[in-house]
Amino acid sequence: MKTKKDISESIRKVDSEEKISGRAPYTSDISIDGMLYAKTVRSPIARGTIKNIKLPKMPEGYHTVDASDIPKRNVVKMIYEDWPVFAEKDVNFIGEPIMLVVGPDKETVMNLADAVEIDFEEKDPVFDFKNSGVQLHFDKGDVDAAFERAAKTVEYEYETGYQEQAYIEPQGFVGYPEDGGYTLVGSIQCPYYVKNAVLDTMGEEEDKVRVIQAPVGGAFGGKEEFPSVTACQLAVALKKIQKPIKFIYEREEDMETTTKRHPSKTKMEAALDVDNNIIGIRSNLALDGGAYIGLSGVVLSRGMLAVTNAYTVDNLDVSGDVYITNTVPNGAFRGFGAPQMIFAIEMFIHHIAKDVGEDPFAFRKRHMVKQGDKTSTSGTFRDPIILSDMVDKAVEISDYHNKAKAYEDKDTFKGIGMSWFLHGCGFTGSGESDIIKAQVKLKKDDKDNVHILVAAVDMGQGPKTTFRKLVADLLDVPIEQVTFNYPDTRYVPDSGPTVASRTMMVVGGLLARAAKSLKEEWIAGEEQTITKQYKQPEYIEWDQDTMRGDAYPAYSWGVNVVEVEVSKVTYEVTVKNAWNIYDLGKAIDERIVLGQADGGQAQGIAYGYLEVMNHEQGKLKQKNMTDYIIPTSVDVPKMENHIMDNPYPLGPYGAKGVGELTLVGGAPAVALAIEQAIGRKVKKIPATPESIMELIDNG
Amino acid sequence: MAKVTFTLNDETVTVDEPLNMRFLDILRKELGLTGSKEGCGEGECGACSVFMDGWLVNSCLLPLASVEGRDIMTIEGYRETKRYKVLENAFVEEGAVQCGICTPGMVMAAENLLNRNPSPSEEEIRIALAGNLCRCTGYEMIFKAVKRASKEGEGLW
Amino acid sequence: MVKHVIPKTYEEALDHLSEGTFKVLAGGTDLMVKNRSWSETPARFKQDILYIHNLEELRYIEDRGDYLAIGALTDYETLLRHEAVPQVLKDCMLEIAGPGIRKVGTLAGNIGNASPAADGVLTLYLLDAKLVIEQKGSAREALIDDVIVGPGKTTLSNEEIIKEIRLPKTRFTKTRFLKVGGRKADAISKVAFAGAVTIEDGVVKDLRMALGAINVTVVRLRDVEKRHIGETISAVQDNIVSIKNAYVPHIKPIDDQRSNRVYRKRVAFNMIEDFITTMHTQD
Ligand SMILES: Cc1cc2nc3c(=O)[nH]c(=O)nc-3n(C[C@H](O)[C@H](O)[C@H](O)COP(=O)(O)OP(=O)(O)OC[C@H]3O[C@@H](n4cnc5c(N)ncnc54)[C@H](O)[C@@H]3O)c2cc1C
Ligand code: FES
Ligand code: FES
Repeated sequence: MKTKKDISESIRKVDSEEKISGRAPYTSDISIDGMLYAKTVRSPIARGTIKNIKLPKMPEGYHTVDASDIPKRNVVKMIYEDWPVFAEKDVNFIGEPIMLVVGPDKETVMNLADAVEIDFEEKDPVFDFKNSGVQLHFDKGDVDAAFERAAKTVEYEYETGYQEQAYIEPQGFVGYPEDGGYTLVGSIQCPYYVKNAVLDTMGEEEDKVRVIQAPVGGAFGGKEEFPSVTACQLAVALKKIQKPIKFIYEREEDMETTTKRHPSKTKMEAALDVDNNIIGIRSNLALDGGAYIGLSGVVLSRGMLAVTNAYTVDNLDVSGDVYITNTVPNGAFRGFGAPQMIFAIEMFIHHIAKDVGEDPFAFRKRHMVKQGDKTSTSGTFRDPIILSDMVDKAVEISDYHNKAKAYEDKDTFKGIGMSWFLHGCGFTGSGESDIIKAQVKLKKDDKDNVHILVAAVDMGQGPKTTFRKLVADLLDVPIEQVTFNYPDTRYVPDSGPTVASRTMMVVGGLLARAAKSLKEEWIAGEEQTITKQYKQPEYIEWDQDTMRGDAYPAYSWGVNVVEVEVSKVTYEVTVKNAWNIYDLGKAIDERIVLGQADGGQAQGIAYGYLEVMNHEQGKLKQKNMTDYIIPTSVDVPKMENHIMDNPYPLGPYGAKGVGELTLVGGAPAVALAIEQAIGRKVKKIPATPESIMELIDNG
Repeated sequence: MAKVTFTLNDETVTVDEPLNMRFLDILRKELGLTGSKEGCGEGECGACSVFMDGWLVNSCLLPLASVEGRDIMTIEGYRETKRYKVLENAFVEEGAVQCGICTPGMVMAAENLLNRNPSPSEEEIRIALAGNLCRCTGYEMIFKAVKRASKEGEGLW
Repeated sequence: MVKHVIPKTYEEALDHLSEGTFKVLAGGTDLMVKNRSWSETPARFKQDILYIHNLEELRYIEDRGDYLAIGALTDYETLLRHEAVPQVLKDCMLEIAGPGIRKVGTLAGNIGNASPAADGVLTLYLLDAKLVIEQKGSAREALIDDVIVGPGKTTLSNEEIIKEIRLPKTRFTKTRFLKVGGRKADAISKVAFAGAVTIEDGVVKDLRMALGAINVTVVRLRDVEKRHIGETISAVQDNIVSIKNAYVPHIKPIDDQRSNRVYRKRVAFNMIEDFITTMHTQD
């Protein structure tokens, strides 16, 4: 009998060669004979009403496409439906799409688009946190009583800026008419979000819209809901023009007009008893939603749920708002609200400890979550928690205590910071069972080749490899016998979007169940199809109205330690080292998971000190790769990552979520390191040299 | 429009296009070589990297005019070489590829380094790749891949 | 119609320039960015363009005894690999863009572009670089300070071209190039500093400091530098306050998408102070 390898043992990713060699056909590489090109005409103002549109004379074969061409509904179907496909009367942010110009010659299309004249009646734009479009609230225990009996209270406010996904491949689709309907090939995370949005806008029959994922050149949440907007626009154009159309964003266009991570302000107030134990927290998380709400409410809720992060606090009052402003709409980005809140709480807990004169490390450890504790929403941490062991390991490999002590000497301008954190896996609350209702299929053909049919997208994070590996391993067949093509909604069922760190745990979990059934029912040489549908674990209870119960079926955990040096001359931060420990249940492929860890950390740390984006009167100031700074190969620290197994009984082989976890702790870790290096409390990220200078000057 | 002649992946090519076209567009649109990618169009990301007379350049900022008489190699040509195979294998083995949009350019930047410095230090690798942005990997596995290629490709560079 | 011409020889280039309508494109790393258009459409030039990238005649580095002559088309990567190129210029060029841009980008283009944040220009100020500027039938030589007059503005006429850059040979006991960009590579300067000193037997024989991105052109105050030549190290260092004060009227940075004036100003002074206080030690 052959002894089976541990599933975590890494294999060669199945799609690397085609990508390295330049053969993989990304969306913009696709070319179809007779194809037209689309360019967007946009609002130059932040808020106003369209008074009049004057079109240039359109040559033969050139078209405009706008709201009047929409067959059914001028709204992009998302979780909250307020985002128009094209602005019709009102414009609400700079860059809002008003129409497309479509035609065969790009230069002509561009000149025509430039020649469209639009008169607006301008209105005063709103940029402040004034109009709350979403309010959420939950509580736990009795926070008023806790504050009443408090020996002390501590209050701070934290602020985070925009973060741009900065995937290296901009947004894009190629669409063509097919069988009386439309086919859209694109750089997307969620084929069925796109399909359902297009069906809804077009009022088409289910089988008239086909969505195919092309290789995706990075997404990070930026291709979660946003592509639904461009897909609907393109579908309207396809219906009107009935020719293949290529619709690719330029870099600046992408940066100026697509969703980003929400800037935030978080108020934190803690009640402490005489022994300096936190007995209650009041918190408000305010997100800048931009002009349309879209996914912002869900982002807000994930952020709020992270309020106590990996600490247990018995009494809570947590509220949150999404403010509508006349800026580009914000949306999904790896972490989904959690990075903002985890930054706030990690800094806050340190700031409390410092204010009451306790050693932050000991203070935090005392409040650390244990198995059986209640979550922020009064659910239960049912599964074993190994965070304490993870922290021990992180301390050891980073030499944390010795360095923390040495760097107390302010003249070193060095610092070390540690964050620890959790991330809920899968959709929040009952989303998975009530909204997504994932379905997967395994199809075996008569040659006994097994085809994985799911809508999960490989955008670099590896499911093309790990799903095949998982299914092959469970079926005990070579991986070559299992295929997984780029999802095409004509063939694959709706296994849900590729978001929320749910791909391996939920979709992979369903595939594992399907594989087990197929193995049991296996008849050589015969076609067989196995379908599995998501079922919520029975013990999970969630009340969406009160936001109470088990918000997630499982949690992944992490510890980040970051070491920095700050220049006394320029206040620039050099991130020297990062050590990270993760519990993601079980890695289905260790190297793939470690790759997620490296990449997530690079983004998370950069969020904390490097990546600056802001707007002036609604116009983004950093709108290209020159001005929006992401880390290069000389900016990233030396990274050392470790995985500690802690299998989750309901995940495939014990796997939980990976993708987002690795980002959420980077910002507080680096901010805490900077805080130590400069001897000042950091309350705002990114902690740029400019803001470090200010902190040193003003405290 | 003007005729411009150059060597492309060892073959002589003449195109008749405006001199102010970006060479990246000539490659991708006129010649159908889509292995060079456009990530930014402004020289920042390196996804469009090609070799000109054996040196790495960003084809998105290269006007067609500058290519007259030059020797160009793109990923389509480079992937036929032994050195490429070593780099490819190293990139796969080390998990250096995620979304892959940066990777052809990254491999070209690695060749540009190894060609002149067959056994680079990590510091030298970092500097050599600094014109190629990768948003997925955090670069760590790419560094490892270049080190591995440098070892396994002994004698090739 | 905008004309696009590839001259075959330098002669021919000068002929075209004498028409007065052409702009030269060397590496194109500034011009192609500034004039970029929708992908797959030609760059949007509003002026006739002379593509000189192929003029091999302008690609040379020659040691001419008391100065180093650099042909205008010599790219950064070539300069970085040449032994006669001063270290401070190498330190500077290593922080310009990435390898791909450095293989086509030129110092002459950096001068022609005349950005207040141009790093090459900053270091050329420090090195007292002279430019050989030619037009059909005549040539002139000018100190770089006299060529750059403001953001994007030079004294070059439409008929003129920079043919050569001349770096007088000087030996320094210490030089420094220090740049603050948004990140550690591939970034435009928020503020930058180049410094050089020669110290013999504890006496300052030469002292130079140049600052970039804090005014419309590079700031180099030769009179302030001269004042301290012949002084002992400690005499200069004791005067740090007055030295910094002399720069006050000249450090006038702006707020933009990359940084703000308060920061730029502070860091500029920090850089001056740090260089002066460490001028006798090796970094
Ligand atoms: C990604 C990226 C990063 C960059 N990073 C930096 C940086 O860190 N620091 C920095 O300083 N710059 C940087 N630059 C700007 C640019 O690369 C430099 O300014 C470069 O030196 C320009 O040289 P070029 O030959 O490409 O100029 P071109 O674009 O060809 O020309 C620039 C200007 O100079 C004129 N010109 C060129 N040659 C001559 C000549 N011989 N005689 C007269 N006029 C001439 C042109 O007419 C034009 O006005 C960067 C650019 C990019 C795209
Ligand atoms: S596309 Fe050329 S450098 Fe980004
Ligand atoms: S692998 Fe995605 S950008 Fe490098």
